[in-house]
Amino acid sequence: MNKRFFIILTAIFIAPAGVGPKSAPAARSDPKTVSYSPPRLADGRPDFRGIWQARETAYINIEGHRAEAGLRASPSIVVDPADGRIPYLPGALKQRDKNYERRATADPAINCFQAGVPRATFLPTPFQIFQSVGHLAIVYTDNHSYRIVLDSSIPHDDGIDFFMGDSRGHWEGDTLVVDVTDLGDQTWLDAAGNYHSDQLHVVERYTLLGPDTMKYEATLADAMVYARPWTLRLLLYRDKKPGAQIVEDECIDQADGVWHHVSPFDPKALLHHDYQAELNREKNSQ
Amino acid sequence: MTGAILWMAALFALRASTAQSPEKSATAPSAQSTPTNLPRLADGHPNLQGLWHNESGYRAAMKNLRGGGGLAVALGDFHSAGVPLPFPYWPITKQIQEYRDLHDPYHDPEAHCHIPGVPRETEQPSSLFPFQIIQDEKYLVILYEYAHDLRIIPLDDSAHPKGYWAWDGDSRGHWERDTLVVDVANFNGRTWLDMEANFVDENEHVVERYTMTGADTIAYSATVDDPTVFTKTWTMELELKRNPAKEQIVYYDCHEGERDVEHYPKSEGNAANPHE
Repeated sequence: MNKRFFIILTAIFIAPAGVGPKSAPAARSDPKTVSYSPPRLADGRPDFRGIWQARETAYINIEGHRAEAGLRASPSIVVDPADGRIPYLPGALKQRDKNYERRATADPAINCFQAGVPRATFLPTPFQIFQSVGHLAIVYTDNHSYRIVLDSSIPHDDGIDFFMGDSRGHWEGDTLVVDVTDLGDQTWLDAAGNYHSDQLHVVERYTLLGPDTMKYEATLADAMVYARPWTLRLLLYRDKKPGAQIVEDECIDQADGVWHHVSPFDPKALLHHDYQAELNREKNSQ
Repeated sequence: MTGAILWMAALFALRASTAQSPEKSATAPSAQSTPTNLPRLADGHPNLQGLWHNESGYRAAMKNLRGGGGLAVALGDFHSAGVPLPFPYWPITKQIQEYRDLHDPYHDPEAHCHIPGVPRETEQPSSLFPFQIIQDEKYLVILYEYAHDLRIIPLDDSAHPKGYWAWDGDSRGHWERDTLVVDVANFNGRTWLDMEANFVDENEHVVERYTMTGADTIAYSATVDDPTVFTKTWTMELELKRNPAKEQIVYYDCHEGERDVEHYPKSEGNAANPHE
């Protein structure tokens, strides 16, 4: 082997953080962003660790929404098709419209269910990526959900549906590509009734654009609901506040039979005890 | 070629020297009691990553606390007294536990798919549902299969927050030689310890210790203090064992498909909501 070439190769594979090679342009990458070389772990993979959050309000409606009180209008995050519309099959579009009409009670998220993929990525709450050589997990604030991204050499866990699906990752240059299957039909894509069936197959692409920004793309294929695969794209931003952390998000089933999120910072989260009174009350209720 | 190899070696040496700070080296693993062949991360600390379960068995610790056999050991005064004693409740909290155990099992937060709390999640569900640890120099995160419970543990021994009350409390960790010590506080007063209505409240304070005793075993202990529930602190000890290499978390969607509550008949108290 040519000695000089070998040195260059060596530099590529074990270069310290920040001095790595320029990443190879991925198929969908914006040309002006590919020059960023992110910090890397010891295995040379980009370092995605940190707390991230979307700023766009796509959680309300990924096809965009009008301005409302206290809320600016948002464009569609659907980038393919170019018209920003999800390419529903005709019957599925009618179902989506029904979902929209009933969204105040029909959205699974109202029951404090886990959000599913890709909805969890653009909720108005942050998520944290944990990564070490050979391991990567995404922990979401919402309903204390998590996904473990196993290597794509391990087959999907077929035959079971999970609210957060079954995730397998591989690298295309500096882009983390996650293949997600086993998603059920009990999650929506947003609060506006956009939905999928249990045939949904998601391919996510995570690419660092700078120290504190990440591009997120998800291509959704579902022959039961969509006329063709389609893609959404948004940016994620790093939470740089000192001491930033993911806080516990649990719901409490209340007397009305409905589950409600209770923030751990809300004094109502704390259950004070007067044991003699509790014992008397419980005995009297029997 | 030799030049390239030397250059590579130099780079590796540089990496090693930057990865391991002098402070870390000073506290680096040298405890006589721990094996020398433990898997370690680049920072020198034991590598706890992987899939683990409670090998001591379901409720083994509780049985032992009552003077039974097994791996678990109860420490404290009542242990040295050598008599089979239950949890060291105050009289009123003992009455509460006995009453609920007999009449109100629906009170169990796990029947509602709530986060089990500490140390229950390591003791009870984890004998059936494993947990995954991912770790770096700043964090150790525990992803429990049961009810997609999780704990993010900063390893900087930082202070607990104020005005924060959670099912799993707030966890802060640090290394004492090869033992990960996790201080857990800020509980919300809503969790039980098991299905026999043993419980803790908002004054619970737990110190957990995770010590690898081999490549595939962790000695786990949790020392629990709760002055409004117990007259003294007590300790639970468990052996955690690594799951076989090909096993993985099977996501446990609990509340999303939860029907447990229906299994608690009205005659056993399935009427009132215990969490309000």
